[in-house]
Amino acid sequence: MIQASELRKSASFFHDYTELRVQQNKSVEIALVNGDVMRNAVNTTGGSSARVGGCGAWGFASAPEVGTKTFERIVERASRNAKVLAKGRKEGSLPETRTEGCFDYATEKERMGQKELLDFARGIDAYILKNFPNLQSRVVVLRNLDMEKSLLTSQGTEAYSLTPRSLIYVDMSLMSEGQPVNLFEGFGGLGQFEDQFTTPESLFEKLQIQYEHLVKKAEGVHATAGPKECILDADLAGILAHEAIGHTTEADFVLGGSVAAHYMDKEVASPMVSLVDFAHHAFGETCPIPVHVDDEGTPAEDTTIIENGILKSYMHNKESAAQFETAPTGNARAFLFSDEPLIRMRNTAILPGTSKLEDMIASIDDGYYLMRPGNGQADTTSEFMFAVVQGYEIKNGKLGKAIKDTTISGVAFDLLKTVTALSDEMKWVATGMCGKKQPIPVGMGGPAIKCTVNMGGR
Amino acid sequence: MELDRDLVESCKEALLKKGADKAGCILVVQEKTEFTVNAGKLDLLRTTETGQLSLTAIRDQRKGSLTINDLSASAVETAIDETLGLAKISQPDEANDIAEGDSPKTFESGPSHPDLPLMQERLTDFLEHVKTHHPLAVLDQLIFDFTRSSRLFLNSKGVDLQEDKGLYALSTMFSSKKGKKSASFNYTGYESQNLEKPLDQCGSIHRLISENAKQIDTEVLDGKFQGTVLISPDCLTDFLGMFTGMLGDYPLISGTSPYKDSLGELIASPCLSLHSRPLDPEIATGSHITRDGYIAQNTSILDHGKLETFLLGLYGSKKTGLARSLNNGDCWIVDPGDQDFEDLLKGIDRGVLLGRFSGGNPNENGDFSGVAKNSFLIEKAAVGPALSETMISGNIRDMLKSIEGISKQRIHFGGAVLPWIAIGGLTISGK
Repeated sequence: MIQASELRKSASFFHDYTELRVQQNKSVEIALVNGDVMRNAVNTTGGSSARVGGCGAWGFASAPEVGTKTFERIVERASRNAKVLAKGRKEGSLPETRTEGCFDYATEKERMGQKELLDFARGIDAYILKNFPNLQSRVVVLRNLDMEKSLLTSQGTEAYSLTPRSLIYVDMSLMSEGQPVNLFEGFGGLGQFEDQFTTPESLFEKLQIQYEHLVKKAEGVHATAGPKECILDADLAGILAHEAIGHTTEADFVLGGSVAAHYMDKEVASPMVSLVDFAHHAFGETCPIPVHVDDEGTPAEDTTIIENGILKSYMHNKESAAQFETAPTGNARAFLFSDEPLIRMRNTAILPGTSKLEDMIASIDDGYYLMRPGNGQADTTSEFMFAVVQGYEIKNGKLGKAIKDTTISGVAFDLLKTVTALSDEMKWVATGMCGKKQPIPVGMGGPAIKCTVNMGGR
Repeated sequence: MELDRDLVESCKEALLKKGADKAGCILVVQEKTEFTVNAGKLDLLRTTETGQLSLTAIRDQRKGSLTINDLSASAVETAIDETLGLAKISQPDEANDIAEGDSPKTFESGPSHPDLPLMQERLTDFLEHVKTHHPLAVLDQLIFDFTRSSRLFLNSKGVDLQEDKGLYALSTMFSSKKGKKSASFNYTGYESQNLEKPLDQCGSIHRLISENAKQIDTEVLDGKFQGTVLISPDCLTDFLGMFTGMLGDYPLISGTSPYKDSLGELIASPCLSLHSRPLDPEIATGSHITRDGYIAQNTSILDHGKLETFLLGLYGSKKTGLARSLNNGDCWIVDPGDQDFEDLLKGIDRGVLLGRFSGGNPNENGDFSGVAKNSFLIEKAAVGPALSETMISGNIRDMLKSIEGISKQRIHFGGAVLPWIAIGGLTISGK
């Protein structure tokens, strides 16, 4: 793909604030259902786009081609579009940001071909078939996405990035009392397949654990509806951080009516709670979705959203930063070449505490240990709903029976005030995909947290 | 971009020449013109061109599929070889096949170009309408676009189908603010082949924005009860999606669909008829061609409560031995009921008028639970306060059998025509 430096000569087409981006998304998907190959496909989507204008009058144009003539054409069209909206408007200027860099997370190992990937999936499927013969159905999905971008802006940013993600999803289903019960699990994260997975055998222990949880779930009980003291394991803490708090503090949502508009510098959580949207590194390691330069050319920096229970910052692009008279945070991201950058989270996490998980469980007389979320949604009011697909009762400080699928809900800013303990273990969930006009891969994380949650159920 | 028939023909021939027993090619070209309103301000005009070529090759019952959008000669040549390579490494499956066709056909609908001045006028009028008539409303985002698309399906079993379509689409997400208080956001959409109507008169937009202002102040429900949920047309799409999701390829192939043995049986209240009618004049979004490359036909999914069809594609059909669906299973039309909305309300002693459902996907058994958003308590046949932190739970299969009434009034969304449906026996719980 074209490197950012190769775009430099197209800067002569820029007359106003302009971003010129060349991007290619390459995805591989293999799906086995009960051993049959239901999908064996490769999808490559690439092209170039230009965004021109700023502060209330943006023009955007894209084409599925790359090259100087195309760049000239799309910059000119984006400029025309911006002028349509700019008539009679004067709405200030954008903050200046400039950086250069190459952020390449490609593997240095020899690449595997599609046949080897298919054989890998078959290896997992064969293990499940052999070791868990009572399953009603099994699904193995292997999904890779490489996002490759080159960016040139009129403010002088030149940046190239290749951010790959490789995932394997396994869904197991068995019959219990004549009804199907299922449990899925996702594995993998940042990196091309060769950097994430070695052999199918490396996943066998995790598959065994998944199966054991499924069997317990099939024999499980329905959760009791109502408020309960719970431990949300790291997976659920991560989705809480992202869906219920993170979205309310994206500056475009703040301008669009989010309840967080009135909470700046106020106590919104227990003083134990700090929440950060990490740009690329955290706790000495690379985050699941490292963003070094955003799609407006701003160097990406960590955004501390909540510090010791106090709301400290929103996430910004250039335009919202100008409106809030602050600095952009590097949160402007686009999914496809044909998408405009939107304010998006990157790697959003609640910071770990000092408690031990086993002590936290032991401290609850009657509650639940909620381990894995299904899908989740939240509101501009911070009211949220998450499906819970794996969890256990806690009775007298000990784990009890597994629970069947349920839902939890509440108002996140209220829930965070009920937090009484945070475990000392930090775990990232690297399989997240966020939807907001466009999809985008995100990282979510946290420790286990002890809090009061409104349980769905019967 | 223009639809390049020669390119598609040459791909098909090349796949066959290089060893495919069966070959299929789909080219889609699309141009979108989109206005975006953010936080109440029109701030983006976006034009995008896309082209996408999908290739399928089957050799010795082994299938490979590949999609690219770089249509240069060298990229296409590489894609042809890679598609055959994918087929070669796959496993043989008798269910791998392509659609069969006879004579070439072209379908056309909608305008060929957007009426940009009228789009801008409609949008400006709508923003003014919201300011004037909904002073508490905040348009978090509104997207108003026109998409012109052309699709060409060619394969080695005689399919030669083209569809050229122009469509206007509006989607909006909004909330309301009064002082420091905000209502839960809500959203809706509308699609049309013309711009005859002002935007505030499209679909359920005016009603939902009006209702949203009444949702700034909410009450938390105390306790739990079994009651009736009056599902609004916007929200009904979620539940119909959960139901039709149990009729597709995956749940039937894996054997996990609770309806796998129910074809021809009464699985819902006899007052419910649900159709999938892409060709209906009331539907603007319908496709004349199925995903597999067959000519689409209208069909009924539920006829007076009886399951009339599964929603299987060609692969699912061959895999299960069951009939393939005559269309893509979308473009839902629910027959109107025999009661006015007000009469439906009068029949409810205690329940919820459900505006939006924020819930997890149901499990394979059909159990679901989620939060009632943008919703009101119904008490003694009257709409009461807006609710917060209220959960609804039940089972999709039981719901379909527990319909207490369907409204005469329906909302035309362009992609669906849906009424209000009252369903009894659902668990409604607060704090």
